[in-house]
Amino acid sequence: MKKGLITVGVIAAIILLGVMMVGGSYNSLVELEQNVEKEYSNVSVMLERRADLIPNLVSTVKGYMEHEQEIINSITDARDNLLNAKTLEEKGQANNELTSALNALMVVVENYPDLKANENFIQLSDELAGTENRIANVRRDYNDAVEAYNSKVKKFPTNILAGMFGFEEKEYFEVAPEKTEVPEVEF
Amino acid sequence: MKKYIGYLIIALLLVVPSSVLALNPIADPLISFFPPETMKFYVNDTANVLSTDTEDYIINKSADLSKVDGTEIVVVTVPNLNGYSIEEYANTLFNYWEIGDSDKNNGLLLLLAIEEREFRVEVGDGLGGILPDGKTGRFQDEYIVPYFKNNEWDKGIKNGYDAFYSEIVKMNNLDLEYTNPIEQENLDELYSILIIFAGALGFVLGVIAGVSKKNIRSKIVKIYFIAWILLFIVSTIFFSIGITLLFFNLLVFGFILFLMSLKNSSSRRYSSSSSRRSSSRSSSSRSSSSRSSSFRSSGGGRSSGGGSTRRF
Repeated sequence: MKKGLITVGVIAAIILLGVMMVGGSYNSLVELEQNVEKEYSNVSVMLERRADLIPNLVSTVKGYMEHEQEIINSITDARDNLLNAKTLEEKGQANNELTSALNALMVVVENYPDLKANENFIQLSDELAGTENRIANVRRDYNDAVEAYNSKVKKFPTNILAGMFGFEEKEYFEVAPEKTEVPEVEF
Repeated sequence: MKKYIGYLIIALLLVVPSSVLALNPIADPLISFFPPETMKFYVNDTANVLSTDTEDYIINKSADLSKVDGTEIVVVTVPNLNGYSIEEYANTLFNYWEIGDSDKNNGLLLLLAIEEREFRVEVGDGLGGILPDGKTGRFQDEYIVPYFKNNEWDKGIKNGYDAFYSEIVKMNNLDLEYTNPIEQENLDELYSILIIFAGALGFVLGVIAGVSKKNIRSKIVKIYFIAWILLFIVSTIFFSIGITLLFFNLLVFGFILFLMSLKNSSSRRYSSSSSRRSSSRSSSSRSSSSRSSSFRSSGGGRSSGGGSTRRF
């Protein structure tokens, strides 16, 4: 009688242990995936914020620069691409395009001292720089979240669960391969 | 007796995997370069460019301001940035020190790096509305950079501090006469109450089991362990805080039961058990106070990277 009770107890405990471990790992997978999605939406918000600043910048710059139509066009094109981008890869590409177009603008701005001293332009430059800084931060947070999630998906024993419930690896938000240094603008 | 050892082994089996699964956050290497957080908190002049008058001025004003609604303005000067960008340095420092109130995120960090000749205003997320990046840049151009160009660090910091201080007071309509009643962090308070409750419950159950007859005692212990294991499973899945409470509860329960089974004189039993309880209380209060100094009435603020940078 006593022995039987112990056996039942041990078996019940082992089953409970199994259920707990599976439940715990599944929950942690869900949690990590939610975290990746949250960080992804943060990245999207910041990219949009950057795109929203462009029309103001272009209209300010246009008044001073008549001969730099090419650069202005490349900026507006990159902005349109960024707003139309659907996947993370497209967004990253368009964002890099916009960065290099803006860098080209900042180089030629040196030839327009009036524009450089324009209060509106200084303010927009600060807003853009602040947004770029935030993008760098949210990209880091997003990549950290992806790293935590991916390693959970790949590692034993959660990889078995991940395969069963269809958790797939997520892609990182990459910086441009040839990382261009932002020219320092002195005011 | 053997049965209880079996129960204990099962309990241990449940503990080991959950502790292995726990994730350890890795500290950012940049943190090792930060100036130590001084008692003064609001001013950390590691580059030694500020006068004592300015330091006292800022400390007093910031301490008063933080009592109003938790707004924290912190000034930090460093000799150099150890190769990091000022944006990364400022943002990591801001979030490491948790400048500003945890709900309002109303912190502001003014960081001056002498060697790099760079200055950055890092704005907490909650102040971004009244201090957008463009405005912080303009404030720097108007109130700070002209002084810094002549290496007048002390004047630039004081003038810039005043500009940001009065802007925040004006835009947020702060009543400087008003003092917010000091509120403890709710979670910490709840936690100390819960841990005392868990300890008391374990104590009472231990005493009941200890004074009851042997056959009843074994039943109580059995029921206690089954209930404990069930609660443990539930709390592992849903709450991380529950595990600590349960272990504390088990610890007190087992300890009291052990003491009662020693059959020592009642006076000695009583004194050692009460000292056990008082020591547990002091350790819980120590953990809840964390690292906030008496100067700060808030903390827990966050910045996602707002603000602006100037080179001069």
